[in-house]
Amino acid sequence: MKGNKIKENVKEAYSKIARNNNSGCGCGGSSCCVSSNQDISKSIGYSGEEINNVPEANLGLGCGNPIALSKINEGDVILDLGSGAGIDVFLAAKKVGKTGKVIGVDMTEEMIKKATENAQRYNYRNVEFRLGDIENLPIESNSVDIIISNCVINLAPNKDKVFLEAFRVLKDKGKMFVSDIVLLGELSEEQRNDKDLIAGCVGGALQIEDYLSIIERAGFKVRILGEDKDISKRQYEGIPLESLKIEAYK
Amino acid sequence: MKHELMEILCCPMCKGDLVLTVDEEDDKEIIKGSLFCGKCNEHYPIEDGIPNMLPPDLRE
Repeated sequence: MKGNKIKENVKEAYSKIARNNNSGCGCGGSSCCVSSNQDISKSIGYSGEEINNVPEANLGLGCGNPIALSKINEGDVILDLGSGAGIDVFLAAKKVGKTGKVIGVDMTEEMIKKATENAQRYNYRNVEFRLGDIENLPIESNSVDIIISNCVINLAPNKDKVFLEAFRVLKDKGKMFVSDIVLLGELSEEQRNDKDLIAGCVGGALQIEDYLSIIERAGFKVRILGEDKDISKRQYEGIPLESLKIEAYK
Repeated sequence: MKHELMEILCCPMCKGDLVLTVDEEDDKEIIKGSLFCGKCNEHYPIEDGIPNMLPPDLRE
């Protein structure tokens, strides 16, 4: 599958998840269906308090907790790449306070609608959601303090472009905190082209070394903050992969 | 969409500035309108308060 066809497939899968209000095997193999959104989010590093902050925003689709890794200050401008129903945006919004703002970008209309409804219901005034493509960010250069992204970049057909765009919109000395699925072994051709595995964060994932070198090529300095290899057993039926957590500096 | 968001908004394709047209707004935000990029000659709609900044070929 190529470019826009991959995006259409991903959009379709995540629209369905937004409508059904659950993970329904978004990020994960079929075994994740038996776990609740809450259990999944706890297993990848969210506290009970964080999950209950805006419960409707937790769809159990992440593979880490980038907010917990990041050092967000009051007044910061934060950008979430692939914001889904908004769980990380709302957690960041509490940290930046009234003087800061958090922008969530997602290409799935149903997710953006859900996130916007959540913002209104819980009265978050310092957040904005917009429909957009993370390969073509509608954001001014040098305008963001911190970028976060949780288990999304693997879904993008052109990851070079995603990281180049991230580098462009970050202010000097800005930082990016990412959790994402990377491969630790080869997938078969069949697995790579499997629609469900692509939408499940596996089919489009890169080998760890390729992923890291793309980020460096975009201009970032990268530091690995953690590697969750156990997620392969928990959610991906033993496929050779891990959840990689990184910090990248501009 | 809030007015102040215009500060950091740009065309997703050429990264140029956008011109805002407001059709409907309340005391908090713009509900309906559009964002126009003169360089790309492209309109990005704002509906139900949400700006649709997807590149033209990804829009439905």
